[in-house]
Amino acid sequence: MTSEPGPSPQHADAARARLREAMQRLAEGDRSALEWIYQATSAKLFGICLRILGDRGEAEDALQDVYVSLWQRAKNYDPERASPISWLAVFARNRAIDRLRKGKVRSAAVSVDEAAGIPDHRPLADAVLESSERSARIHDCIGTLEERQQDAIRTAFFEGSTYAELAERRGVPLGTMKSWVRRGLARLKRCLEE
Amino acid sequence: MSEPELPEREILAAEYVLGLLDAEARLQARGLMASEAAFAASVARWEDRLAPLLDIMPPAAPDGDVWQRIQTALDQGDLAEEPVIEVLALRRRVRQWKIATGFAAAAAVVLAFLALPMTRGPGPGAIPAQQIAAADPLVASIPIGDTPLRLGVTYLPDREEMLVSASGLTADGVHDHELWLVTPDEGAKSLGVVVAGEERRMAVGAALAQRIEDGAQLVLTREPLGGAVPGTEAGPVVASGKLQKT
Repeated sequence: MTSEPGPSPQHADAARARLREAMQRLAEGDRSALEWIYQATSAKLFGICLRILGDRGEAEDALQDVYVSLWQRAKNYDPERASPISWLAVFARNRAIDRLRKGKVRSAAVSVDEAAGIPDHRPLADAVLESSERSARIHDCIGTLEERQQDAIRTAFFEGSTYAELAERRGVPLGTMKSWVRRGLARLKRCLEE
Repeated sequence: MSEPELPEREILAAEYVLGLLDAEARLQARGLMASEAAFAASVARWEDRLAPLLDIMPPAAPDGDVWQRIQTALDQGDLAEEPVIEVLALRRRVRQWKIATGFAAAAAVVLAFLALPMTRGPGPGAIPAQQIAAADPLVASIPIGDTPLRLGVTYLPDREEMLVSASGLTADGVHDHELWLVTPDEGAKSLGVVVAGEERRMAVGAALAQRIEDGAQLVLTREPLGGAVPGTEAGPVVASGKLQKT
């Protein structure tokens, strides 16, 4: 695994540029680019799959699926729209949630308290190439929500929980949970656009 | 907290991105993404908004053999499923339906479609006027994956018949595509195997015909040759769309 030194802004920019360039080569059908991308991003993407699926075997299957799909779909990546690691991370998370919804695995084993307890402002070095400013903004905005809204939104995002699962875990009616989340989303959007 | 609610579609987009939707709602959202550009854009915006949260997910090292497995899959041309959801509920209901109707009946329906004489015309645009007058046709134009190609479905209520134009699909020799009607209460019901590259007339059974209405959801799955094998799970959904009045 390529181990990158600390996430200084210059370093992050350079890493983003290299990944973007590899994605372009991949889109042109260069398979060696896939190995480079795997080395650079698989720990990050596996962390996401593992978090959502809560099972190493399932997460490894999901990871395999992600890179095989990536090989087929690299041309869909629009370098204008998103940073490559963001795009890959969202892609991996979506695949992991799809797998979770297949019902083969139980919901992630990591507790919501643990999820809430992840240090908010300390992006983990390895593959975090996202702009720390943008990252800080969403964390700040989530921090402005009511406790129960934060909890629901974080749990959904980090564990892929459905409304029904959230309502059951919190012991509230489904409609109440929906209302918390929806108000939280409206507030979140306003905060992000301020 | 008196926060003004977001518009319904935007709520759905955010809920999809957060992962709050159950399997069927998730499938429906994917269908909307395929058929409504504005909804797809809304999903993309919420993904952009929330993506930075993924930064705090700690990395973890996968087993070394995952890369080997990826290479093997690529070498063998063992392509990944389309990045659309395989719905547990849909598959379960398909199974129930097949148990209820029996394998023979399901197979007979598929064979009946295959045995129909190939009708190259008239296309959806060339239906005789008197048929349209009897009952409004419903049409669906279903985008296929990320290609500019579309599956055209025209349903003629008065004839309980569909015209399916699959010129956008290519036969790969090892898969067929099967078209399903997603019903709100009983899950997916097979409308039959679609013949790649051709335009076909497909009969719709009376019971099924009653379920087809404006806004009915269709999904296309990739199956082994001959269609979904009874007793097994339906294949991955490769496209979805809605039947609507013109």
